[in-house]
Amino acid sequence: MNADTLLKVENLKKYYGGETVKALDDVSAEIKRGEAVVVIGPSGSGKSTFLRCLNLLEMPTDGHIYFNGVDIMDKNVNINIHRQKMGMVFQHFNLFPHMTVMGNMTLGPIKLLKMSKAEAEASAMKLLERVGLADRANEYPSKLSGGQKQRVAIVRALCMNPEVMLFDEPTSALDPEMVGEVLDVMKELANEGMTMVVVTHEMGFAREVASRVVFMDRGKIMEQGTPAEIFENPQSERLKTFLAKVL
Amino acid sequence: MQEWINEFVDTFKLNFIEKERWKLIVEGFGNTLKITFFAVLIGIAIGVVIALIRSTYDNNKEDYKRKGGIGYVVMSILNGICNIYLTVIRGTPVTVQLLIMYFVICASSRDGLMIAIMCFGINSGAYVAEIFRGGIMSIDKGQFEAGRSLGFNYIQTMVYIIIPQMFKVVLPTLCNEFIVLLKETSIAGYVGIRDLTKAGDLIRGQTFSAYMPLIAVALIYLILVMILTWLLGKLERRLRKSER
Repeated sequence: MNADTLLKVENLKKYYGGETVKALDDVSAEIKRGEAVVVIGPSGSGKSTFLRCLNLLEMPTDGHIYFNGVDIMDKNVNINIHRQKMGMVFQHFNLFPHMTVMGNMTLGPIKLLKMSKAEAEASAMKLLERVGLADRANEYPSKLSGGQKQRVAIVRALCMNPEVMLFDEPTSALDPEMVGEVLDVMKELANEGMTMVVVTHEMGFAREVASRVVFMDRGKIMEQGTPAEIFENPQSERLKTFLAKVL
Repeated sequence: MQEWINEFVDTFKLNFIEKERWKLIVEGFGNTLKITFFAVLIGIAIGVVIALIRSTYDNNKEDYKRKGGIGYVVMSILNGICNIYLTVIRGTPVTVQLLIMYFVICASSRDGLMIAIMCFGINSGAYVAEIFRGGIMSIDKGQFEAGRSLGFNYIQTMVYIIIPQMFKVVLPTLCNEFIVLLKETSIAGYVGIRDLTKAGDLIRGQTFSAYMPLIAVALIYLILVMILTWLLGKLERRLRKSER
């Protein structure tokens, strides 16, 4: 395995109801350090399932997932340790409503990374400043707009110093005028060299930010390449139909 | 009118002042509070443990099966025990449970108060467990996922993220359960404990005047429940602050 490879997926399968529904049908992929991989595809194509399998929120039926060379599908591996290094951002934010923004951000570092409260709050504050939300540190999530919630969710994941960030349709639940502020934060992250896997419907973002675009349909990876290859010169019929619909 | 007031005062004196019968009421009131308070504590303790075991088993069934081994066996047995407990306790009247506890299980002990506390605690635990489990299930699945994705294990996610939110959800139902429990303790007289109800009944037996002691007892229960309702309402409003 190449030293640059952060995540390697081999023959990943996820079936529901025996073998009647194949959400993931023998998917193999490799994600290198510093790559921003954007996964696109029609709804029901398995792209969210693929992403959620990467940190085992969804347990694959079969296959292997190597993270830093360790097969996290091995039942003797403690997945919690590896999840600390895989930040995840959800469509519906999933901020903890009973904690302030600061509480949300420092819970993991204090309890899991054993940071002191002061240390955790200082680094959380730096991140909040970066996304322009330092003045909201002591608010409860219910007081924030959708865009603000998602930015907090992103920095909450960043507080754990992850090696890869997984984004599961991070802008799909947002009002249109708030999509931009979230995408900007993600763009900045990608430019800083964070390894990212992003499932999204934002084709503009894919075109501009992705180092590689992966097109999935019916549980398989149909085509992948640079944004230019995928958007300007699609090969498969399915990708052409898909792009015709969304662009 | 004057006549009626005089009669009222006389009956009051007869029932509560003469032979210091009010002391019976005070003693009974104390016992009712003691039984309720400690039964609530036992009920919450049992409820949390059982709700955790049952929802842990339900949520991780597949995971346990996949990994197999001793963990799966232990959890299946624990879950089975919990189910039997819930079925038996919720399937039989609390009066019968109290009698069995007093005359069968603890036949060698005559510490009625202790037995009543145990019995009502164990009884309440079954209902509280189901209230908690319902609360846990009502929390959005995304909260579990967010906790787990940060790297918390199942128990940590429960303790730091799910249970604090669950308490807010279940508070009204829980409050109701404790009001029911407070009133249920009025059957403690069955096994010779002088609780509030028994005290009222004792006075009735001595003075042969029924309405005064019994209405007084009813009023004390009513006031107690109203105070409890008010206190829990205040607590609820405080907990809701974060959601506004």
